[in-house]
Amino acid sequence: MRILLVEDDKDMAAHMRRSLEDEGYDVELVEDGAVAEDRARARAYDVIILDRMLPRKTGAEVVLALRESGVTTPVMMVSALREVSQKVEGLDAGADDYLGKPFATEELLARVRALHKGREMAVSEHTRLAVADLEMDLLARTVHRGGKKIDLQPREFRLLEYLMRNAGQTVTRKMLLENVWDYHFDPQTNVIDVHISRLRSKIDKDYSASLLHTVRGSGYRLEA
Amino acid sequence: MRPSLGALTRTTTFRLVAITAAAVILILMAALAGVYVSTIGQAQADADAAARLEWESLESVYAERGIAALRAEVAERSARQSDMLFALIDVSGETLYKDFDPVPRVPGEDWRAVNGPIQRLMENGRVVESVGRGRAGRLIGGPVLVVVRDFGVVARIYSSLMSGLFFIGFFGVFGAIAAGLFASQFAARRADLLSRTAQEVKSGDLAKRVPKSRAALPAGDEFDKLDRDINEMLDEIARLVEATRTAGDSIAHDLRSPLMRLKQSLETAARAAPGSESAGAGLAKAVEEADKLLDMFNAIISVMRIESFAASSFKAIDVTALVRDLAEFYAPVAEDRAITLRAHIQDGLSYRGVPEVLTQAMVNLLENAINYTQEGGDIELRAELRPDGQLELAVLDNGPGIPEKDRERVVQRFVRLDDSRSTPGSGLGLSLVEAVVRLHRGVLSLSDGLGDTARPGLRAALIFPATP
Repeated sequence: MRILLVEDDKDMAAHMRRSLEDEGYDVELVEDGAVAEDRARARAYDVIILDRMLPRKTGAEVVLALRESGVTTPVMMVSALREVSQKVEGLDAGADDYLGKPFATEELLARVRALHKGREMAVSEHTRLAVADLEMDLLARTVHRGGKKIDLQPREFRLLEYLMRNAGQTVTRKMLLENVWDYHFDPQTNVIDVHISRLRSKIDKDYSASLLHTVRGSGYRLEA
Repeated sequence: MRPSLGALTRTTTFRLVAITAAAVILILMAALAGVYVSTIGQAQADADAAARLEWESLESVYAERGIAALRAEVAERSARQSDMLFALIDVSGETLYKDFDPVPRVPGEDWRAVNGPIQRLMENGRVVESVGRGRAGRLIGGPVLVVVRDFGVVARIYSSLMSGLFFIGFFGVFGAIAAGLFASQFAARRADLLSRTAQEVKSGDLAKRVPKSRAALPAGDEFDKLDRDINEMLDEIARLVEATRTAGDSIAHDLRSPLMRLKQSLETAARAAPGSESAGAGLAKAVEEADKLLDMFNAIISVMRIESFAASSFKAIDVTALVRDLAEFYAPVAEDRAITLRAHIQDGLSYRGVPEVLTQAMVNLLENAINYTQEGGDIELRAELRPDGQLELAVLDNGPGIPEKDRERVVQRFVRLDDSRSTPGSGLGLSLVEAVVRLHRGVLSLSDGLGDTARPGLRAALIFPATP
């Protein structure tokens, strides 16, 4: 998997590059917005990680220009500006995700994986999701495991849907908070863990094989 | 310090007084001119008309009856009218009759107006200085007849009116200058007190205030109001500076311990054998401490960001939905800790504001309540429109509460009550809530919650003013 990393802060860039390369990604580093735009047009990348503040061209300008010329590569915008409004601006410009600095390395990696995976999903629009014997019908909004129906609250359904769409990937608490609840704060309680444990008690409790795993220090993963 | 004359004349007060004085003097002069025209002017016109009538009737006496009859007539009329004076001079230049001196010359055939000082010759031989006004003219054949009205009284009124005018002009101008100087000195003194206070504050003495004026004027004039406003402004500035100083001190103090621990962990890791278990543990500990530091900085940035939101970014918020979603989101956590979370949320509540920060404020209150309430406790979440039109969002619990004396303090940045030092949190929770409430022009009210006297609990209410 090839990643275009656009970041003008050398220390930050070196750190991000090392973390991504440790995951086995092929990373190309660019420090300038205009150069990044040219590269992204010339080559096919799987994911572009784009800092918001760049020399010559801002991240938002780059994304806008790429989208206008039909480049659909998933873009993750990274920025020290944590304001929700900045985030909305970045997403409006055509970015697929937005991550505020400072961030944990796990958070970055999890989001990059989700972006990549999300693109594969988008290619074939599913009406059914399945992980091992857990099945979700997105149209009927029903969930079965081993043929047995599981009753979920609407929010639990969305939580499980997000986990299933990212099956095999680690999703962080922050990703869940943003994508399932559309909340943008750092909880000082274990509220996400409690929601997960409720869901787990419905989908895993009566079955021999657990599907919903806790990834220590980073988040959760739904996997057979 | 006594302000210099130049400085005084440059003051606004002096200029205003000078302009006012000039205007008053002009109006007075105009009024006096009006009085002059309608009194003296009228008297002069009357005198001229009377002298002319007298002259013309005497001319016809002369034309009909000759010079001797004219002389007798003049003497008779002079005796009858004490204010009319006559003079008659023969062709040869001999004075036939005169009531006054000097008799004006008439050079040609014509007549001329007479107006000037005269010496009136009284019957008893005395001479009285006066003013005569009338006409002198040559009759057909050569004799000169002069008829004047004794204008002495009117002239005296005229001259006193003129000196009155002069007096008013002179003293008016000097009086105005004096009044201007006095007023501007008064104003300059008050202004000087203000500017001296400003200088002292500028040079670092934030405790300085504009002193109470000892002015003779009763308190409550515009300067007193200005003094009061400036003193209140200085109070607010001092409060902010003090708050910033406290925040700075607290930041330094609160950041020092985690930084020290971070340093120790790194030192431990550095001393340990690379790759060993204790090196790994030290680094893990260091990362944990660094995360805590980042959390604190993020919290500080959040508060600052909220304080800088503009009212233009406000939008309509479905408050009912926002609070219901939060209640639903936190219900499982509360239940997990055997806490009963009850929600009383009115339908159809809405408000203009920033939804993200309002959510953050409610989250802080709810999480505070959850973290500080013991197992089996109660939490109540209320959202209602009060009868007075204000929107009230409240979180009540039966945790330890906050003693009344500490309630004001806890909303300040970084303040955590000592016995809660051991529980997690950056100490910015309530100050963030306060910043959010202030952004929406509301108030944060802290009072006793659901508990009993031993454990009063906390009721934290966000009260927002009725939307206009």
